[in-house]
Amino acid sequence: MSESTEPIVRNSSADRDRAGVQPLLELRDLDTDIALRRGTVHALDGVSFEVMPGETLGVVGESGSGKTMTALSIMGLLPQGGQVTGGQILFEGRDLRSLAADEVRRIRGVRMGMVFQDPLTSLNPTMRIGVQVAEPLRVHEKVGKAEARERAIEILRRVGMPRPDRIVDNYPHELSGGMRQRVAIAMALVCSPRLLIADEPTTALDVTTQRQILELIDDLREEFGMAVILVTHDLGVIAGRADRVAVMYAGRVVETAATGELFRSPRHRYTEALMEALPESAIREAGEHARLYSIPGLPPDLSRPLTGCRFAPRCRHVTDECRTTEVTLSPGTHQHACLHPVPAASAGPVTLPAPARIEAEPAPEPAAPPTGPDGPAATPVLSVRSLVKDYAAHGRGLLRRDAGQVSAVADVSFEVAPGETFGLVGESGCGKSTVGRLAVGLERPTAGQIVLDGTDIAGLTGRERRRMHRRVQLMFQDSYAAMNPRMRVDAILAEPLEIQKVGDGAARRARIASLLDQVGLSRRVLERYPHEFSGGQLQRIGLARSLALQPRLIVGDEPVSALDVSIQAQVLNLMKDLQRELGLAYVFISHDLSVVDYMADRIGVMYLGKLVEIGPAREVVRAARHPYTQALIDAVPSITPNPAAARDGITIRGELPSAMNPPTGCRFRTRCPLAQEICETEPPLAGDRHQVACHFPLRPESSAASAEAGAAA
Amino acid sequence: MVRYLITRLGQALVVVVLVTVIAFLILHLLPGGAARATLGKEATLEQLAAFNHEMGYDRPWIQQYLMYVQRLLHGDLGYSYQLNQSVVEAITQRLPKTMVLSLLSTLLAIVLAIPLGVIQAVRRNRWPDYAITSLSLLAYATPIFFMGLMMIILFSQVWPVLPPEAPQGFTVGEVLADPAGLVLPTVTLAIVTIAVYSRYVRSTMVDNLNENYVRTARSKGLSERRVVLRHTLRNGLFPVITLLGMYLPALFSGALVVESLFNFPGMGQLFWQAALKRDFPILLGVTVIISIATVVGALVADLLYAAVDPRVRLRGRAS
Repeated sequence: MSESTEPIVRNSSADRDRAGVQPLLELRDLDTDIALRRGTVHALDGVSFEVMPGETLGVVGESGSGKTMTALSIMGLLPQGGQVTGGQILFEGRDLRSLAADEVRRIRGVRMGMVFQDPLTSLNPTMRIGVQVAEPLRVHEKVGKAEARERAIEILRRVGMPRPDRIVDNYPHELSGGMRQRVAIAMALVCSPRLLIADEPTTALDVTTQRQILELIDDLREEFGMAVILVTHDLGVIAGRADRVAVMYAGRVVETAATGELFRSPRHRYTEALMEALPESAIREAGEHARLYSIPGLPPDLSRPLTGCRFAPRCRHVTDECRTTEVTLSPGTHQHACLHPVPAASAGPVTLPAPARIEAEPAPEPAAPPTGPDGPAATPVLSVRSLVKDYAAHGRGLLRRDAGQVSAVADVSFEVAPGETFGLVGESGCGKSTVGRLAVGLERPTAGQIVLDGTDIAGLTGRERRRMHRRVQLMFQDSYAAMNPRMRVDAILAEPLEIQKVGDGAARRARIASLLDQVGLSRRVLERYPHEFSGGQLQRIGLARSLALQPRLIVGDEPVSALDVSIQAQVLNLMKDLQRELGLAYVFISHDLSVVDYMADRIGVMYLGKLVEIGPAREVVRAARHPYTQALIDAVPSITPNPAAARDGITIRGELPSAMNPPTGCRFRTRCPLAQEICETEPPLAGDRHQVACHFPLRPESSAASAEAGAAA
Repeated sequence: MVRYLITRLGQALVVVVLVTVIAFLILHLLPGGAARATLGKEATLEQLAAFNHEMGYDRPWIQQYLMYVQRLLHGDLGYSYQLNQSVVEAITQRLPKTMVLSLLSTLLAIVLAIPLGVIQAVRRNRWPDYAITSLSLLAYATPIFFMGLMMIILFSQVWPVLPPEAPQGFTVGEVLADPAGLVLPTVTLAIVTIAVYSRYVRSTMVDNLNENYVRTARSKGLSERRVVLRHTLRNGLFPVITLLGMYLPALFSGALVVESLFNFPGMGQLFWQAALKRDFPILLGVTVIISIATVVGALVADLLYAAVDPRVRLRGRAS
């Protein structure tokens, strides 16, 4: 389904349908307001689109764009204070806004289904799975208890749930996130709806699970002959799955088109900028040292009256006209609301999308190659040797007995050279964050050495341990949670200096001022509190705090994972700039392979506490040697569909084993398509520069890498 | 589960022992002492010394305490010279009556507080919520003796429909034979409890109504009634169970103020009168009983919680 030619075929059939068949769902000029204490937010302003029977419409946008509010408006599930104030929601020809509440409820339960983002909280924790799944049947179809149970088992089987006859009697907390999302899908489909609305259905899941769930939704769509609205912030997810796409910005649809056409030739300047801000675009355009295009500024405040194009303040092509003229969607099948659209690409054969580079944008600076990785003489700033971390898993109470050991990190070794970025990737539970916490000395290892600038920090105590923190600092995913909400920014930034007794008051103030300059914030932020900032600004403050003591190494634990694409680009650029200026080394921990690919010089891939592959970033991502790495790469949704990966790639099935009793030998062997008997013995991490811990590496180490290593040695 | 139970019982035992030590020390270190209180102002120093020697009050306190514990283990809580009966007898006489009063008022409170809390949560920040909240705060802020007096004035003076005094019967049967007399003390006790419980139910219900699983339930096209009663109420009531467990000691201790006000011969009145007369064996006995009830109450609440909440249940089984 990821074949690049396919969406176009689908689109033409959709066009044909449009002549005779009525749309299943049509939104006309939908307005939705949310009344809050501080005022009314106009969340949706004239949203119009249609969904044909059997088609998948992707709705894409950043946070606050109104994509979720659109979904909730259709379902009639707006939060308190929310209300649809204008327009029509035509479902199967009838306007839901004009129907009686009871009828709308029936339609919602039987004809539509919805799957939400967070599978961990969207099921009732104290109700058995079977009861929850069968509830719509019991209520809307008045089905008896025994039959409802049978049908719950049947639908659970169809969403790929193992042992559904046992699962029906389980409670949600006994299942993993991916399994709970399958339950949520089963629940939405139990009455065979005509329309499934999936609101960020895979955002909370790991990439390999994401792939399973997206494929499941695709299969079920065909099986049930239903239409799907796939709401997501992830352009890659949309590119692989949707027939048509609606791009939303600040409460409006700014562009709609068939998927293939949209990605080949985006017309609205916002869509274009969004695609350019993706790390994968920068790598494709100019290699790993390219600068990301970042959209300046923030989305507008929707509680204020707005005129003109809402993207105008952040647009590279803005003219005065944009600020004053209301732009409506252009007619046709590829609609856009832009006065200065990107020129349409010729409708030739499908080529790689080539987003226009803008002259005003400073050309990517010739990347100063990091001094570290190639210079064998440089002493590493961080050297981790045979690192082990076990956690005791125990019961509660006085008489608790150790129930076992959770093996979080098992024999991990790597080095980080000065000025280098080392990327650590893996799925949740693989131990990458634990490695980060150990590296900065927040936790003590069970065994192994952590040598920072030549000293083993495991053995340090007291004053030496405190001084060690000057050389390594941590940067968090959720900077807001990592700041004391009652401290002003000046106090937050001064704290590391005070703890380390660096300088006097005046010196500290001067240092803070220069920190703000470095991260691109004005001095005015000093008197404000953390809750007054947006996610991107908080990340800048967090970075400034990490820099306060002039560390040599910063460990970033998912530092951009909570940010929107356009803001993420700003922070990534900043991190790269500072690295060049200050000669910083980063350990960049992330689940997002495309971000790590963009940032890192070298990458280590972790699975269940083990480092399974380590090597130069380009080689790990483009010539992976470990089957797990390859599966991870194939699962990452991309805006440039890779048909080969979809057909021949390695797909992981099943669930992550428990870290309490990890598989013996190669820990990946229980899910590996290549596993054989020998895999029960542990494979050593072997190779020169591009090492892999696998008995059956996918490919030999590239000759260039080994030759370089040979020359170095 | 068995392991968990043993652990909790062990912890409970430690708490009870500590409570008896503390209570014993406080009572015996107080000025005046038991002898003076028992023999009265007229007693001579010789008489006091003789009394203290006979009772063992002249020995080191640790020895006294061990003697007390030894008797305690044989079910002997001591002898009250002022009531001229054993402490066990005095308590068994009054405890059932107190439990009748407390149980009735607790039941009344629960039956009213849960629907009131649910209504507030469902209609939050609209007039039913504001009205019930205002009344709750009023009830909560009013001193209970004042509330009781107002009840007596209103319902037995201004509008004489109910007796101002609680039933004076000697046994539970006799007390229950006079239901009219029980109304005012029960209602007075219940009013404050209703205020506390309904606020609590409101807040847990509001929390639960904002949960994602409630949105999921609505997406299934369920009626609002079903969403609230089938999905939210059950989860909202779990914390209330803890509150009920905490309330168990009140069943034993009775309500000091209400029992005195309505002249109800229960545990509260017993304790109050013993305190006035420095009747140490009674005070100590009641304290021990209540501390055991408190510990058992917390334990029962935890077990009940584990029994109804599948998440806790599973963890209990695993440990």
